[in-house]
Amino acid sequence: MFEFTKEQEMIRAMVREFADTELAPKALEFDRKGEFPLEQVRKLGALGIIGIASSREYGGSKAGHLPAVIAVEEIARVYPSLAFILEVEQAPLYMIETWGTPDQKQAWLPPLIRGERIAAVAATEPTGGSDLSTLNTTAVANGDDYLLNGRKVYITNGGVGDWVLVLARTGERASILALEKGAPGFVVSRRQEMMGFRSGDVCELGFSNCRVPKTNLIGKEGGGQAIAMATFTVSRAAVGAVGLGIARGAFDIALKYAKERVLYGKPIANLQAIQFMLVDMDTEIDAARWLIYHPAACLDRGMGPRDIGKLSARAKYIGGEVAASVTMKAMQILGGYGVSPEYHLTRLLADAVEIFPATGTPQIMKFIQALEIVK
Amino acid sequence: MSLRILVCVKQVPDPEQFDRITLDPDTGSINRGGIPPVTNPADRHAVEEALRIREILGGSVTVLTMGPPQARKCLEDALAMGADRGVLLCDMAFAGADTLATAAVLAAGIRSAGEFDLVLCGNESVDGATGQVPAQLAETLGWPRVTHVRKIEVKAEENRALVEREIEGGFLRVDVTLPVVIAVVKRINRYRLPTIFGILEAGKKEIVEVGCATCENCGLAAGAMGLGGSPTRVVGVFQAPRKRRVEMIGGEPRDAARALVQKLREMGAL
Repeated sequence: MFEFTKEQEMIRAMVREFADTELAPKALEFDRKGEFPLEQVRKLGALGIIGIASSREYGGSKAGHLPAVIAVEEIARVYPSLAFILEVEQAPLYMIETWGTPDQKQAWLPPLIRGERIAAVAATEPTGGSDLSTLNTTAVANGDDYLLNGRKVYITNGGVGDWVLVLARTGERASILALEKGAPGFVVSRRQEMMGFRSGDVCELGFSNCRVPKTNLIGKEGGGQAIAMATFTVSRAAVGAVGLGIARGAFDIALKYAKERVLYGKPIANLQAIQFMLVDMDTEIDAARWLIYHPAACLDRGMGPRDIGKLSARAKYIGGEVAASVTMKAMQILGGYGVSPEYHLTRLLADAVEIFPATGTPQIMKFIQALEIVK
Repeated sequence: MSLRILVCVKQVPDPEQFDRITLDPDTGSINRGGIPPVTNPADRHAVEEALRIREILGGSVTVLTMGPPQARKCLEDALAMGADRGVLLCDMAFAGADTLATAAVLAAGIRSAGEFDLVLCGNESVDGATGQVPAQLAETLGWPRVTHVRKIEVKAEENRALVEREIEGGFLRVDVTLPVVIAVVKRINRYRLPTIFGILEAGKKEIVEVGCATCENCGLAAGAMGLGGSPTRVVGVFQAPRKRRVEMIGGEPRDAARALVQKLREMGAL
């Protein structure tokens, strides 16, 4: 039987307390205003949560990938937008630490881990995200620099990001370049209005003859697609964990309501129709939970992205499914209150739906799994 | 001068889940089954205050608790916050203690753990809520005590502390010599959460387990411990009845208000 370590349990308790005391009172307001929770991101840094899977050498705690998933889940319970911001931050950290040069790691990782700086990964373009072979953004060598041209869309943390790790075509193949905020020719074209994750900063970015020093190339020239694929594979469990957290948040709201709401003289939790819905929700959550923890636990046991392709695609897929399914059931239990924003479920449902396209649609997730199942 | 601080902490059932506590009508005992244990809330503020004082003056913070083996958890939580080492007073001989027997064992445990300049406690626990232990502990140690404290300023070089003690309608400013037992109220500070680093480091810190024999070596007679050493007994517990009655008063606001006042008068509430 799988058991969490004492440290993992303590990390969960700490993040839960932080979420309940610091985030829950503010989440609704932040999302309503579409405000980026900068102060809360800084607090995540101060508590060591951002660098939870990063090396100690750069200020991380190297607690592991499973603790990262646990932290994302606990935050998503009350504030999915911030959980998604935290999840997105893990991708550049992983890219820089795994493929960056010693100088890049030393310069970029510590302020990112402390939450003083924010990074984004820019892969998706207007023509799509999952098929990276159709990349239109280009980076052409020019002296000591690359000249970057193109457009990226749906880039989380795109506006607030101090560094954007851009996937661009360098000749036949793709590369990853770290672009610094304020570089001439780099514009945040617009903030994109989204249904959910409303305090996430989702932006369209434009590059026009934008100079990026060659020293900002991450990994080898032409190695970008492999880096992006491996990074997305690693980070998918955490995307699933956002869904798991949403489902748990919705379940808690529904259970509390069912115990308090009196109908025909007794709480509706006494009605078998409601009990069976709660049982289904609880079962779905537990089933998803272990699928989501599994790839993260594999990484902590020393496996690499190549070993967990199917597991992580499945984790992300089930995270979206459980979030949407449980939140919809919770809405039914709450009746009219379920569709009132004050009761949080409309926000959770909007956030649940956002998980479907994040790092690839459910169909892409099935495609990845099929590659391994039907090979 | 660096300060040697000891903080007494207690594990209690999670107050957030007190609504799940039931009473056994036959035995009169409190059934806390299934309610997860946590560190007594006021004690977390005491740990925080100790860490703040250490940050200013330097020194060490030792956390101490008396309880069953699982009470180790509240020491680990304090170590994760930043305390340096833990002492777990754990022995069947300590079981069933009232506040006096608890204070006696705590005092022996403190003596066994070394020399201290300052002992901090939460003002009271959320489960027993007697608020007796800090005063009885100070008495047993032969030290001065200040309870209901909302502010502490330690003048280590002068071997004294200036503290503010809450009283009804105001506060007292107390100048007290060290060593001293100080019981703090929650308002004294906002406690920190442990960081991920703190949690990972906590497992490497020392927790010393102290049993009956060590306490005897520190001068405490076995008969003064646990149930046998407790002059008070809980002879019964009862649940206060909570009755609610709802009556809707309709009509024009002016008439409804009159009717409401009339009803409240009849009930003796006005």
